Amino acid sequence: MRREIGCNRIDHQLSRRGFVAGSAAGAVAIGGLLTPAQAEAVKSGQKRILQVFLQGGLSQFESWDPKPGTRYGGPFRAIPTSVPGIHICELMPHIAQRMHRLSIVRSLDLKTNDHRIGRLRIEKGRTAGDFPYVGAVASKYLAPENPPLPGYLHITTRGLEDNTNAFLGAQHAQLKLLGVNAPENLNRPANLDEESAQRRNAFRRLANERFAGRGGQPAFTEAFDSSFEMAKRLMKRKSLFEQEPSAKDIERYGSHPFGVRCILARELLNNGATCVKVTHHGYDTHAENFNFHLEQLDEFDRTFCMLLDDLHDSGMLESTLVLVYSEFGRTPKLNQRYGRDHWGASVSVALGGCGIVPGAVVGSTNAEGTEVAEREVSGGDLFHTYFRALGLDTSTNHDIPGRPVPIGDPSASPIEELLA
Amino acid sequence: MLTRRFTTIVALAGLSLACADVSDKALGANVGNTPASPPLPEPATTVAENSLADEATLHVRLDELIALATPNFADLASPRSSDDEFVRRVYLDLAGTIPTSTQTREFLANQSPDKREQLIDQLLNSPQHARRLQYVFDEMLMERRVGTDVPDADWQTWLRESFRENKPWDQLVTEILSADGVDEKQRPAAKFFLDRKFDVDLVTRDIGRVFLGVDLECAQCHDHPSIDDYLQRHYYGLSAFLKRSYLFTDPKTKQKVLGEKAEGDVKFTSVFTSEEGQTDPRVLNLPGIPDPEPAKELYIAKPTSNVRGVPTYSRRVQLAKAMVAADNVDFRRNIVNRLWALMIGRGLVEPLDIRHSENPPSHPEVLELLADEFQKHNYDVRWMLRELALTETYQRSSKLSTDSKQSRNASAAFACGLLKPLSPEQFGWSSLVATGFSTVTMSAQEAALRKAEPETAATKIEDPLWREETLRKVLKPELDPVVARFAGQGGQKTSFEATADQALFVINGANVEKWLKPQEGALTDRLHKLDSPELLAEELYISILSRPPSRDESTAVTNYLKSVSDRATAIREMTWALLSSAEFRFNH
Repeated sequence: MRREIGCNRIDHQLSRRGFVAGSAAGAVAIGGLLTPAQAEAVKSGQKRILQVFLQGGLSQFESWDPKPGTRYGGPFRAIPTSVPGIHICELMPHIAQRMHRLSIVRSLDLKTNDHRIGRLRIEKGRTAGDFPYVGAVASKYLAPENPPLPGYLHITTRGLEDNTNAFLGAQHAQLKLLGVNAPENLNRPANLDEESAQRRNAFRRLANERFAGRGGQPAFTEAFDSSFEMAKRLMKRKSLFEQEPSAKDIERYGSHPFGVRCILARELLNNGATCVKVTHHGYDTHAENFNFHLEQLDEFDRTFCMLLDDLHDSGMLESTLVLVYSEFGRTPKLNQRYGRDHWGASVSVALGGCGIVPGAVVGSTNAEGTEVAEREVSGGDLFHTYFRALGLDTSTNHDIPGRPVPIGDPSASPIEELLA
Repeated sequence: MLTRRFTTIVALAGLSLACADVSDKALGANVGNTPASPPLPEPATTVAENSLADEATLHVRLDELIALATPNFADLASPRSSDDEFVRRVYLDLAGTIPTSTQTREFLANQSPDKREQLIDQLLNSPQHARRLQYVFDEMLMERRVGTDVPDADWQTWLRESFRENKPWDQLVTEILSADGVDEKQRPAAKFFLDRKFDVDLVTRDIGRVFLGVDLECAQCHDHPSIDDYLQRHYYGLSAFLKRSYLFTDPKTKQKVLGEKAEGDVKFTSVFTSEEGQTDPRVLNLPGIPDPEPAKELYIAKPTSNVRGVPTYSRRVQLAKAMVAADNVDFRRNIVNRLWALMIGRGLVEPLDIRHSENPPSHPEVLELLADEFQKHNYDVRWMLRELALTETYQRSSKLSTDSKQSRNASAAFACGLLKPLSPEQFGWSSLVATGFSTVTMSAQEAALRKAEPETAATKIEDPLWREETLRKVLKPELDPVVARFAGQGGQKTSFEATADQALFVINGANVEKWLKPQEGALTDRLHKLDSPELLAEELYISILSRPPSRDESTAVTNYLKSVSDRATAIREMTWALLSSAEFRFNH
């Protein structure tokens, strides 16, 4: 089956570069397996983002930028991947088989060792200030009118309170889903049956029509109405949050929290979400760095690959930008507790899907991984890259009155070689 | 540009919503011009009266200027609001909540010709007014930040008491900008600095935005690329007042306070041009304030790791002086624009913190008049709010022609009442008042007091301040979840945003459910006791929407009661429906 939606340029790139080995196989003969929701999602032409946030700071050595046999390299080997010439850490064997679907940036310098600042720089693409997060920008510019789900959903264990939408309007703020729990107040009060709910809502709407009929500022009343509509849609889709994952999904993704969250993420993307962020906690390995990465990446590697496979098989990967990132990396030097500390100076991230050249590596660190050697990249550069890949011109101003704010940091620029 | 959507984002009260037929520029041209001899049919603005304008009180002059600014103003202008429109609006704006059904009925029945002025004065002198301004200025100054160094309760009390005694704005700002957190009495005022962790860049930017109405953020790294007025030296001029100060933890009390060094200059380099610059402390375009010849002793207390630095000459102390000085017109323009926006529903400059030559005030003469008069009246906030409430501009009806172009033009010209979204606090309190939950709570408090202090109870219960303080304290657990849900981060603004989780709170939330319970004295209980459907409809509408129902609405209530077998259920449903309606959600 030929896919005709999304970023067609990828297909051209693919054939031109001759990434035949793994990529073609997955695309064949899956048409019959699409659920109606998936088929709809693919047909709609909507573009989406999947963010996998490895909270705490993934070690670049134990993942995307291994330095085996060097002073700071640690005990793990580097293994070949499905892309000739690209090696990654042996803790990610499933990803290694799917490397042709992703690309790596190994030369990110966030210029901070602070959790919060690192996170803000990579989410906002700005070094400081009140700017919207990637997800809020996606919600604003990529979501359809009357989206079936809030544009920016974040599945996390906890979540720091943050002004994720900045000046973009509260409907673009992240809606946090704690664990796989539904948003609050999704269930009708016990004493309110369906008939009662409909009746009182009809009376409310009657009142609203009368009020709208007196003229003036329809935009306010429409925004108010649409929040109730969105609430109604969320209540209707309650089952998304309530349904038990199938035994098969659990077997593939794993029964641990990250597994279940990724299943939910897939369902949300299938059902019209624009940006879904899934947080995998626990990478702040100040002690026992190697043991922790062994455990953490075992969970991450396989589960993430199942999600990547499902997106690819349903055809959605071509219209979905996939980002794997942390707030920074980890120090080359080990501390006394066999830990690695905070390190923002040479960080790796992975990305793939919509609009991204697959199977590429951008930039490099020096032989011992202590600093960026080639093609230094900033959080701002990444931000431009994400949205350029999704077809949004980040050099234009935000669509807000009275204040000319460029969408991307004017002092940063997209990583052109990654744009398909 | 990919999909640009305008449907759900709302700003500027619908003014510059990028509508296909009216561009911002076209509106601006229309609004900004003041033709020499406009044909103004409206009697209120004849030439003869204009010549007397200087003698007239501020509210009269404001109305004249507003009318003069738009050539066809009379065609656009809405009539004066009806009494029920006015009573709800002015209670919300000045007391922070809708009136009770009793208060509404009293006002509607009042035959006195100057009853609006009476009510304005009554509300401005109420404890509810100080509370309202506490909320407004907390949002304006702290922008819903969660800070911990100064307890929120202390700060709120300090604000409330400041507004209760009607502390002039220049004095309030002086106290905020001079507070170092050491003096216990003034410590709450230090929240502005301390709960921003005295991050100099953040504080510099927020002083620009909150007190001067300009956002210098981009000017931190280079002259603003698209706003010619915002220069790097403006940014560093402000930060030069602060750069020598630092956060110091008192070794004894463990409290954070501000210390200051006696030396240190501000230099800056443009990231674009690599040009270097240097500046003395200065407020925007005002002259720099050079340090005096250094005294023999640079320090009153020399900074060490255990000693808070106190220099002989403090640059930070100069900031408060320079800010409120007579030559700093921007200080006055900013606050009058914010007070205007608070009352009228849209700033003369929008967004409120972005005034520059490319984004000028829609009515420059109005802004200048307000700024001048505010200074002449010693920065008297209560006086200014009173004048604004007395304008016809404030008192016009918000009912508009359904012709959308006509209503947009009227809105742009301030020729009609504008919709103002209720703040989270207004929405919460109004819900508690509408459902009678506050009445129920007050009765319980009175009963408890009579039991506990039988001798003094009667006097206390008559005391408006005791009533206000008691009710607010007891009902805080009801208000907090509303604020948590409805308050976005950020400061004062006139735009409106609504989220799904806010709607879910209203639709399914346990708080709302509780307010609708028919306990003795609650609205649902009072309604249940009214046998006549017409009287029931009247009490329902007056209690929630502060107006009697139309005939159609009364009939709809009667039919609703007939169609539902359980009367209590019908009453609860209708009460919920009006509470969750757009008419309730907005001040109009």
